[in-house]
Amino acid sequence: MFAAIARRISLSFLILILVSLFVFLATEVLPGDALDVSLTDDDLAVLTPEQLAEMRAELGLDRPAAVRYLSWLSGALVGDFGNTIITRAPVADIIMGPLRNSILLALATTAVAIPVAHFIGILAAYWRDRAPDTIVSTSAIVGYSIPEFVSGNALILIFAIWLPIFPATIVLYTDGPILEMLAVSILPVATIVIGSIAYLSRLLRLGLVEALVSDYVERARLAGVSEWRVVFTHAVPASLVPTLNAAALYVAGLLSGIVVVEKVFAYPGLGLELINAVLKREVPVVQATVFLGAVGVLLMNLLADLSIIALDPRVRRSAGRG
Amino acid sequence: MLKKSGKRILRSPVTMIGIAVLTAHMAIAALAPWLTPYGSSELAGMPFEPPSREFWLGTDILGRDYLTRLLMGGRITISVALCGVFIAIVAGAFFGLAAAWHGGMIDEVIMRLVDTKVAIPSILLVGVLIPGFGQSVPVLILVIALVYVSGVIRTVRALALTIAPQGFVTAAVLRGESNLSIMCREFLPNVLDLLCVEFAIRMSSAILLVSSLSFLGLGISPPTPDWGLMVSEGVGYIHTDPWLVIYPSIALSTLVVALNLTTEGVANALGLDAARGMTKG
Repeated sequence: MFAAIARRISLSFLILILVSLFVFLATEVLPGDALDVSLTDDDLAVLTPEQLAEMRAELGLDRPAAVRYLSWLSGALVGDFGNTIITRAPVADIIMGPLRNSILLALATTAVAIPVAHFIGILAAYWRDRAPDTIVSTSAIVGYSIPEFVSGNALILIFAIWLPIFPATIVLYTDGPILEMLAVSILPVATIVIGSIAYLSRLLRLGLVEALVSDYVERARLAGVSEWRVVFTHAVPASLVPTLNAAALYVAGLLSGIVVVEKVFAYPGLGLELINAVLKREVPVVQATVFLGAVGVLLMNLLADLSIIALDPRVRRSAGRG
Repeated sequence: MLKKSGKRILRSPVTMIGIAVLTAHMAIAALAPWLTPYGSSELAGMPFEPPSREFWLGTDILGRDYLTRLLMGGRITISVALCGVFIAIVAGAFFGLAAAWHGGMIDEVIMRLVDTKVAIPSILLVGVLIPGFGQSVPVLILVIALVYVSGVIRTVRALALTIAPQGFVTAAVLRGESNLSIMCREFLPNVLDLLCVEFAIRMSSAILLVSSLSFLGLGISPPTPDWGLMVSEGVGYIHTDPWLVIYPSIALSTLVVALNLTTEGVANALGLDAARGMTKG
């Protein structure tokens, strides 16, 4: 079991390094460096070649790519992402507040989505292939077919404009108190929850239905165990592993959704920071946010896989999955 | 088999609605330039005109006919998604089969690269590519291909691993057939069903992704008529002219819902599971 855990952790670390390499290559080793993409034509017209060379040296861009990558990576691993190109502010300081706000959004969403999705998924699996299941499954398809920017704007239109209950945009500062942030984040959370529930409940229903037709469940039924009991004591635990397997995809989808929702509601999070940084070509901020996003996905995936190792004796014995 | 599947599709009203709406969308997208007398970027009237006999849905912020833009608004997104997903399917089938067939080091390298891609959420992946590669339709197509290729590799590889130990594959190896011929003649016919479902699933997800990117200002650029872009242009006027946001939202949502309902219905009828592969990306 320890071998499996060690193998799994080192795999995550390897992928983290590959991610960092990708993030670095995608932004830095292309024709034109970080400075070139950040400067507009107007900037270039004003600056002399000497000034450009000086700025390049100051940003460390005159060093070979491999050296820059290693220094960026060693910084990133301890949370130092360098300075921004335009204002020279430390990237870590800029993204700290937004990072907290985005984590808050992700946690609030997950806290609502997981119990509700379980509830819906279990109902659909219990009445599988009958009317309640058809209704749930069809609404789930509709639920995740609607992009966040559509459902978000629909919620704004209904609950902020036609019925002015909630604020349409988040007017708090980046470092507002957590409780105040949560209070005004009901619509953003609701927006992501719709898609998350649709995705999770479908996945759960599928896992449950598969478990419900398995031999040991049939055996339990023959032994006279009631159907509800079968669902809760046999099918739900058995569906846990396939659900955990989908954790990485769920987290990745959640983070993409959060980016869109932050834009819709002007929520001061990392997603909004990323979009602005991309549009301003502020490469160090882009690198930092994307790297942190991947860290989030890898961490959640690692946790899920470690839980699977703990839960599933077959996986434990085979010393980790390929 | 096919006849039975067809009957099951016809019996499901939800699937039939999906197919009908999807067909209507495709017809509109194909015929859009000939449906209205205006050009999509033509300043045909005054800004914010209400619906009239001239402009059935009124005009937008710049005075362009909104119905024209609405009818045209799916074309670019659908085309980008179509091209991107097609590349993803072809490349995914190739790398997935290669990983499963060769195993060992090749498998290991391909799968670790897939893991790396999966760790980066799609919108973040696009964000990190734009500063260096710029923002254009060809780049967008390649990005879509990159986003979806990993999922295709995984599913194709998983299925190919179950095919590899079967008798007809061993027979082909013993006949001394080349790797390429084994891939094309033994594996490909057996993964074709799956590839079709994959194509449909990724297609709806890609349409969502492209329009979300356009909404964020990272996808299709103005003045192209595009639903995601139209929503982002209209959002500033949501208090006074909510229709500028509502129409493109409805157009986009009905297209994706119809596509997903159709996929689900057809996949069910063929006995395949669509749910596992469906993600928001």
